[in-house]
Amino acid sequence: MFVRAPCKVPFKDCSINMITTAAATVEAVQSKFPQAIVETVEFRDEQTIVLTPEYLLEVCAYLKKDLQYDFLETLTAVDWPERVPRFDVVYQLLSIPHRCFVRLKVRVGQRREEHPIVPTVTSIWPGANWYEREVYDLFGITFTGHPDLRRILMPADWTTHPLRKDYPLSGFDLPEPHWGGQVPYTTDPGVGDYYKQTLRTSEGRELNEKRSQINPAQEPGTTRPAQQAASFPQSREKKKKG
Amino acid sequence: MKQEMAKDSTIKESQPIESQISDGLHNDSMTINMGPQHPSTHGVLRLLLTIEGETVVKIVPEIGFLHTGIEKTAEAKTYHQALVLTDRMDYLSPLGNNLAYSLAVEKLLGIEDEINEKIKYTRVILAELQRIASHLVWLGTHALDLGAMSMFLYCFREREMILDIFEYISGVRMMTSYICPGGLQADLPPGFDEKVLAFTRIFPERLQEYHNLLTNNQLWLDRIKNVAILSREDAIAYGASGPVLRGSGVAWDIRKIFPYSGYEQFDFDIPVGSNGDVYDRYLVRMLEMEQSLNIVNQALAGLPTGNHRVSNPKVAPPPKWQITGSMEALIHHFKLFTEGYRPPKGEVFVRTESSKGELSFYIVSDGTAKPYRMHVRGGSFANLQVLPRMAEGGFISDVVAAIGSIDIVLGEVDR
Repeated sequence: MFVRAPCKVPFKDCSINMITTAAATVEAVQSKFPQAIVETVEFRDEQTIVLTPEYLLEVCAYLKKDLQYDFLETLTAVDWPERVPRFDVVYQLLSIPHRCFVRLKVRVGQRREEHPIVPTVTSIWPGANWYEREVYDLFGITFTGHPDLRRILMPADWTTHPLRKDYPLSGFDLPEPHWGGQVPYTTDPGVGDYYKQTLRTSEGRELNEKRSQINPAQEPGTTRPAQQAASFPQSREKKKKG
Repeated sequence: MKQEMAKDSTIKESQPIESQISDGLHNDSMTINMGPQHPSTHGVLRLLLTIEGETVVKIVPEIGFLHTGIEKTAEAKTYHQALVLTDRMDYLSPLGNNLAYSLAVEKLLGIEDEINEKIKYTRVILAELQRIASHLVWLGTHALDLGAMSMFLYCFREREMILDIFEYISGVRMMTSYICPGGLQADLPPGFDEKVLAFTRIFPERLQEYHNLLTNNQLWLDRIKNVAILSREDAIAYGASGPVLRGSGVAWDIRKIFPYSGYEQFDFDIPVGSNGDVYDRYLVRMLEMEQSLNIVNQALAGLPTGNHRVSNPKVAPPPKWQITGSMEALIHHFKLFTEGYRPPKGEVFVRTESSKGELSFYIVSDGTAKPYRMHVRGGSFANLQVLPRMAEGGFISDVVAAIGSIDIVLGEVDR
């Protein structure tokens, strides 16, 4: 009754040629690229190799070609704001023929470096494309050589990187007329000196105040005439008095 | 009003006919927008399609419309609180997410050995029921997209039976959070077996009905055979997983390869496609439902007795009768719910086979009671990335079939 023609159920429990294991991989990388390794870590039976960013591509190409790590499971980053290479970029590799996995890490981000640079691995694993876009979007790490490095999850005109640890959790401190999310279209809540807004200082308040001058007479979506904008703070004071 | 309309029409008529038809229709290619508000993009997915006539030349998926920042939110929650967030990611298989998260936290704590057989078996039963429920939603919506209206109603009828079971054990239909780090939230109520048995008895017939309606239906086959083909090499290179990977002929299932939660004790097959088209992915999921049913039956037959939580008071709260009687138990209970537990410093990556594909949690602990970083590798995210490889060069209507066959949940894509 069923049409089962093209589907086979060939899966047998395999004790096939397990040539490579995670531990053997670590040893192989250690012997082949001794200068590339910062350290190796084992925690809960998971092997991690920490590499210097200069050798990342070389080691990845070696792992893909010679050790058949053909599947990039995920690529992500971890932010350690106090540490000096600030970010860990984490690669989870899986070998489908050998059935083993290993984790690679590179540490990037010198002090006051706004957008640290890592070479892209999209040429080795095309699937890294979206993951690198995600890391760029949420951490602000730039992947050089990436074919299409755009924001992926946040809006395209966003300017900050929310998964960084110094990102304000309580949101941006917007002034009174915009409580409830009514942000005027022309202002950008994520603009560069955002940290000032969260400190609740007089400076931050001034900044917000300046940004949020809207004209009640102005039609939404139109540009504001200059004279009316200048007269706006006065009218607001009047309102308060009344 | 009428006068204005008349004015408009005269203006249009007075324009030369060439200028009226030149806007896109007679060009070589045209860019159109599909979604984010579109019934067959299964949520808020937006596709920018460049088409030449009926043929799709280029697809650019735009995601992020359902970005809720779950990974960021989890950093401010204790490990037990963050469990609730995982339900909301892949909202069609919350128990699968709970299972993956719980396994990751247990591995981080190093208490995997304390999880007893009863907990493992119950988790397997629930995860497999959830897989069937998720596949039923996929089947219903996929068929609905391609014009088989009645399938949707049948599939949701059966799914409701599964959700009834979840409601019976946890009180909630969907976002149960029933599987938690350290065991289960509550013990299985009496009568759970009968409820599941009632479903497993009835479901093979229903599955047969679906096959009769679709698998032998020439209209259905014409619509999905040799459509949106994904080669084996592309599937691996782009990190596709789950039924998409298996549909392309790669025998890869985490349940078999890195068994977790006692899957090595059950006897089941992994259906694998050969062609990598929509039909293969369809058949892989249909056969997977059979296998899941098989696993549920085996697990239910061998369901052992035991505690529903680990006895480690640092991780799981002590039973109620102890809290009222013992000071120590009360302190444990209080500390657990005010502070939570503190796993050692380190990081784990735990992979499971969810209904959408490989669902993995990467959790970094800095020794405090909150996860320092939680990254989720959802199957939908990687699978959606392959969509352009699949559907470029096909017809617009086949894009709908391709999206349906990937089985995306935007909650998991955007997190």
